[in-house]
Amino acid sequence: MAQPHPVSAEPLLDPALIAAWQRGDEQAAAELVGRHARALARFLAGAGAPEADMDDLVQETFIRAFRSMDRFRGQCQFRTWLLTIGGNVLKDHGRRASRRKVMPLDEGVRDGRGDPHQLAEAREAEARLAAGLQGLPRLQREVFLLRAQQGFEYEEIAAALATTPGAARVHYHHAVKRLKELIGGEL
Amino acid sequence: MNDDTRLHDIAKRLGAQAAERLDVDKTARAVVERLREQPAARPSWVPAAWLRIAAALVILAGGALLARQLTPSRDEGHAVAHLVTDDLRDLSADQLRQVLNTLDETLESGRTAPSDSTLDDLDEQLLRAVLRSLEG
Repeated sequence: MAQPHPVSAEPLLDPALIAAWQRGDEQAAAELVGRHARALARFLAGAGAPEADMDDLVQETFIRAFRSMDRFRGQCQFRTWLLTIGGNVLKDHGRRASRRKVMPLDEGVRDGRGDPHQLAEAREAEARLAAGLQGLPRLQREVFLLRAQQGFEYEEIAAALATTPGAARVHYHHAVKRLKELIGGEL
Repeated sequence: MNDDTRLHDIAKRLGAQAAERLDVDKTARAVVERLREQPAARPSWVPAAWLRIAAALVILAGGALLARQLTPSRDEGHAVAHLVTDDLRDLSADQLRQVLNTLDETLESGRTAPSDSTLDDLDEQLLRAVLRSLEG
């Protein structure tokens, strides 16, 4: 087993952690999970992942990512690549679970912080958006989430999804238009 | 606030609670543990790739064979002609004369009716056959 990466003042960048993992450094793998797990969970939740299965889905996505790390050529950021793998994991999970959908409609109720009324309204808007996203084709949904939720540029999204920035932009605009049609009046 | 900005704001909040509830340390430990327990699955694409290549080769070979069978080949005729001329080239003048005589005899014996035969020589059945053939 390789030695853990040396502790330094500056945190290692993702490519350095990936290289360390490929040399057998398990700590580097744990560090990558720590950096990206929450963003992945947000993406999966936005894409319709049942909350009860979130932990399994996040784990499975990282396992697939680490096992296919040979195919990651740095064409995009590790996180973008990871999220697209998460999309595939969720799709497979959906097939197995007969497209079971769980909407986190009661999240606001469980959260005791802030004004209950405002929280309830916010959660309702999120639930409507989540429901609207389920009505989109998968590519549009993922492009929308990568852009609006994760804040990636079109070039980055295009590199992760093996398409062009122009096509990514078109998918995003179709998604926004459709979402406005689906939930626009209630935004 | 316009709809686009509002949409972005809601999208940014989407899944935030699910992410907060995720136990990241536990997930990291579980991932590392699973990678340690099942490390051998990584090169699984290699046999699949070889299978694809083998399938492509079989399809190519099959296609080539089929195309060869469907295309009328002139090579065989050339090959036969080539062999006959090769055989003749090795023969002496006497041997060539003998071959020609044999050929004449063969042609002579292969004739079905003598050239000087007339309609009177034909019986009723043959005459009917001739008339039928004339009608087309």
